[in-house]
Amino acid sequence: MADIKDNETSVVPGEAVGTVAAQSIGEPGTQMVLRTFHSAGTASVVVSKGLPRLIELIDARKRPRFPSMHIYFDKGISSKYEKVREIWRMLEEVRLSSLIKGFDEDLRSATLTLNLDRDKLALYELTSRQIVAKLAKREGLQASAEGDIVKAKINKRESLKSTRTVFVHVLKSAIIGIVGISKAIIQQSEDGTFFIVTAGSNLEEVIKISGIDATRTYSDDPFEVNKVYGIEAARNIIANEIMQTITEEGITVSFRHVGLLADTMCSFGAIKGAGRHGIAGNKESVLARAAFEETVKHFINASVFGERDMLRGTAENILIGKQITLGTGRVRLSVRKSDIAKLSKK
Amino acid sequence: MQAEIIDHLRFTVISPAMIKRMSVAKLIVPDTYNEDGYPIDGGLIDQRLGVIDPGLKCKTCGGRVKSCPGHFGHIDLVRPVIHSEFAKMIYLLLQSTCFTCHKLLITQEQVQEIRPIIKKTIEAIEEDEHVQLGEEEIRELLFKKLKSSKKCPHCGTAQRKLKLERPTFFYMEGNKMKPDEIHDWLAKISDDDVRSLGMDPEAARPEWLVLTALLVPPVNVRPSITLETGERSEDDLTHKLVDIMRINQRLEQDIDAGAPQIIIDDLWELLQYHVTVYFNNETPGVPVARHRSTRPLKTLAQRLKGKEGRLRYNLSGKRVNFSARTVISSDSSLTINQVGIPSKFAEGLTVPFYVTLWNIEKAKELLQRQEYPMAVNLITKEGIRKRIGETNKEELVKEVQPGYVLERQLTDGDIVLMNRQPTLHRLSIMAHEVKVLPGRTMRINSSAAYPYGADFDGDEMNLHVPQSLEAQSEARYLMQPKNLVLSARDGRPIMFIEEDEIIGAYLLTKDDSYYSKEEASMMLSTVGIYELPKHEKNGTYSGRAIFSMLLPKTFNLDYKSGDQRVTIKNGELTEGIINEKLVGMGGGALILALFTECGADFIEKFLLNIAKISLRAAYKCGVTIGMSDYYLPDAVEKESQQIIAQADTKVHELLKRYKEKKLESLPGYTVKQTLELETMAELETARTLAIKALNKHVPPTNIIKIMAMVKARGSIHNFVQTSMFLGQQAVRAGRPSRGFAGRILPYFKKGDKRPEVKGFVHSSFFTGLSPADFYMHAMGARDSAMSKSLVTAVSGYLQRRLINALQDIYVDENLAAKDASGALIQSIYGGDGKDPMKEKVKVK
Repeated sequence: MADIKDNETSVVPGEAVGTVAAQSIGEPGTQMVLRTFHSAGTASVVVSKGLPRLIELIDARKRPRFPSMHIYFDKGISSKYEKVREIWRMLEEVRLSSLIKGFDEDLRSATLTLNLDRDKLALYELTSRQIVAKLAKREGLQASAEGDIVKAKINKRESLKSTRTVFVHVLKSAIIGIVGISKAIIQQSEDGTFFIVTAGSNLEEVIKISGIDATRTYSDDPFEVNKVYGIEAARNIIANEIMQTITEEGITVSFRHVGLLADTMCSFGAIKGAGRHGIAGNKESVLARAAFEETVKHFINASVFGERDMLRGTAENILIGKQITLGTGRVRLSVRKSDIAKLSKK
Repeated sequence: MQAEIIDHLRFTVISPAMIKRMSVAKLIVPDTYNEDGYPIDGGLIDQRLGVIDPGLKCKTCGGRVKSCPGHFGHIDLVRPVIHSEFAKMIYLLLQSTCFTCHKLLITQEQVQEIRPIIKKTIEAIEEDEHVQLGEEEIRELLFKKLKSSKKCPHCGTAQRKLKLERPTFFYMEGNKMKPDEIHDWLAKISDDDVRSLGMDPEAARPEWLVLTALLVPPVNVRPSITLETGERSEDDLTHKLVDIMRINQRLEQDIDAGAPQIIIDDLWELLQYHVTVYFNNETPGVPVARHRSTRPLKTLAQRLKGKEGRLRYNLSGKRVNFSARTVISSDSSLTINQVGIPSKFAEGLTVPFYVTLWNIEKAKELLQRQEYPMAVNLITKEGIRKRIGETNKEELVKEVQPGYVLERQLTDGDIVLMNRQPTLHRLSIMAHEVKVLPGRTMRINSSAAYPYGADFDGDEMNLHVPQSLEAQSEARYLMQPKNLVLSARDGRPIMFIEEDEIIGAYLLTKDDSYYSKEEASMMLSTVGIYELPKHEKNGTYSGRAIFSMLLPKTFNLDYKSGDQRVTIKNGELTEGIINEKLVGMGGGALILALFTECGADFIEKFLLNIAKISLRAAYKCGVTIGMSDYYLPDAVEKESQQIIAQADTKVHELLKRYKEKKLESLPGYTVKQTLELETMAELETARTLAIKALNKHVPPTNIIKIMAMVKARGSIHNFVQTSMFLGQQAVRAGRPSRGFAGRILPYFKKGDKRPEVKGFVHSSFFTGLSPADFYMHAMGARDSAMSKSLVTAVSGYLQRRLINALQDIYVDENLAAKDASGALIQSIYGGDGKDPMKEKVKVK
């Protein structure tokens, strides 16, 4: 009976690991769901899943459709609901329009009268005074409060249209919270500690809040992680997210494949997607690029700049009918000159 | 015989001088054939450009259709014309240079700042070094700086505003610039300045981007077809070239006749249009040129582009000889490594037989044979292929000598490649050993079908016969299914037994299965085992003992999963049931262990034998389904009514709470969304309850239940749907919500909130569906059919992009992952250099 030795489980030099990785990730794609599905019962924020999420990650879309964060807290805070709630209040971006019952705009005198919603204010522990202070910060705006009624007046009236624009901006303005976080939900993990799941992501601002454990706090947006923590962290996010998306569908894929893809996407020092604007569109070989997409564009540019195709990749060698440089095609036989001499003598 | 190997390719712009050097004929007549159907000299089918009619000789090289490679001709354009694809580049060049002194709009110092970077990159490319240069970035930087320059630093002239109006019109301060002006401007840019811009004046002088002569491709690039009526039909390119020449001629005549400038300009513009369309008939901003039948013309760009273009259709993928295709069917007596080939195929496909000193007798025998395994062709040392026939047979037997190659018919034991499309992963092409069989289909073992994604409902597969010895041995060593039992995706077995075989394995190894001596001998004899295991006290043989006969005596396994435990000690299955987790899709732990411990050849035999013996066990028991199996005890029917009623009331309660505004919203959702979510959860509970009821009331002998339980075929949910109720039908991952005003179907009253109004189907397949139910079910079925076809399209493109992005990556001698240019991707593949295929293998 054969004893499997450690070195027998190694990859074989020359193995086309890239192709194997691509196939391993792509092949189960047919079994994945296309539509974002929110399951009933477990309440949480909307996250994209399945094929759309996979494509989003592999394409390296600058703006993911539903970015999300998991925010964890320092030890002293994480088990205390009240303290977590305090931080929660600072997170969610609350716009003025969601704090009022109604408003009235007088275009002639350029005054906006807001009727504040007391319950909503209480929820975020806000007072009308704070709102006035916030409004007064805007340039060219005067604000005053009488009970629940807040009045905002524009100092310099120009046209009716510009007045309206200002009003709309005022209503849309964020009173508290972090830009980009549209929703935050406190959740309890199995060990009793609390954490927050958010819709929208702003890692840079969130980790500045004291009490938040920045070492565990997680954003699923690779670009943001890249900005805050650098490319290595972004690589891990890409790999983890792809792995998670695939695993959720009940498909098993070795992490090696996903890791290789993530490493390739990040090997330029910036995140590059797999499509024509990413890895495939930045290949060294003109033929490989032309064979993928935008054929004419690549040939035209290559001719103007006198590009050379060194024929080192797979696609271009297939194209011109040479053996490819992977697998057994990498193996070269070399013969010592002295041996040739010997042979020819015979 | 080795052809010359291309080292590298260089892309350049063809200069007018080059065009004239390449050209064998200046074309002057804008027509093809004369009245006699003979090519016109100086026309577009000029015989100097090559021949397409068999029997004619090329006037340039004297070759015939097969030997003449074709030769280029040219058209001299009376007035220069912008090459539309280069318009953007021309625009950049114009913007970068002064319109009076034609120097770069940048001081020498600034150039010096940037130039070394460019120079270095050019040198690096020339020295064939790998440079990860931001070439494009540098270029962009440069052009940006040039564009922003308002005044020429050399002559001090203020620059005028330039505008490019797509596709080919240039304006300076609102005045139209003629192509000849542009040509002259570009011609005056110095070589040094061109180099500063990152261009290579050897490869592309700026003025070459404006066409003064047009290269005409050889006729065999644009062959004309003779229709059955004798009418000639020209290629799209020829048509367009005729247009170009016609306008070119008229322009020349008008200029000579001194026609007014407006007429000349109009013709000039028309010439520009024809040339633009000749290069790319999809140029934005230009009307599409059409054939008489309104079909858009396929011009140069269209020939190259896209899936059916030259690059992807003819160069990346090629048609091959030595291949076959037919329907596949299954054959449980073939191993996973074999393929049954129809005898007709075997007669038609050939393998080279290299004649040597040692096999010349065999070669002569092959040559002389009159029937099936015989030689078809003989290839001499000079490479001349001769067909072997009755008449020349004896002659060839005398002629044959070492160094000759025979092409003999395919026989048992030859290696062939099988392929099923879509070729989604490498296991979609595997090498099988030929077994010539009667019949017209190719046959494979059903366990080998899974990696192909094949079934036998009419699937067809392709077959290729590797010709060279290298290819054959590579196929044998790397591509045989027996060596590929483990998937490179996750290291789990990808070849296992399925369906009837799974249920058979269960019936064979379950606790109470015993067989008489006759039965046991019969079962074992089907797999070629002619001894019996130890019998029980009463003289019977346990199924486990029979199964154990398939295992090597030294094999041990201790498998635990949940409450299932399977123990194999010294090749004896002492405990547990062999199910799909061990030998099927659910993990294949036993197959994995056997493969790693006993090797490829054993697993090939084992998969064959376990399938055979399991099927025997299934035959013995008899696995059939009848109506009676779906007819359940009354208790189930009663419970099913209860479940439906319960779901009804629960949903009603939810609605009531919602109306009374007592329903609390789930965090992150509105109250209305919460209602929908909770309703759906409630209806989901109905399904779980139904499954529970089925499990409770249906006897364990019910074959449908057994099949679902052992995961042979079908699920318990299918059973619920046939025998209890269909349950909720989903459209777009939710309950159906669109249709008529206030309701989904006109059968319902507006505002009706009962679950069945939104696709909760009460009836079962057994009782039959009411029209309303039927519609709901059809809606769900249509939705899933639609999304399935969409997923294949979307994931197909994803697959293509992924492959394209990663296909060059390989592992080098030090186990580092690198790409085509040698750039490092991972310093050690996967962090440890392990093969994912062997990831699950336990190391001793």
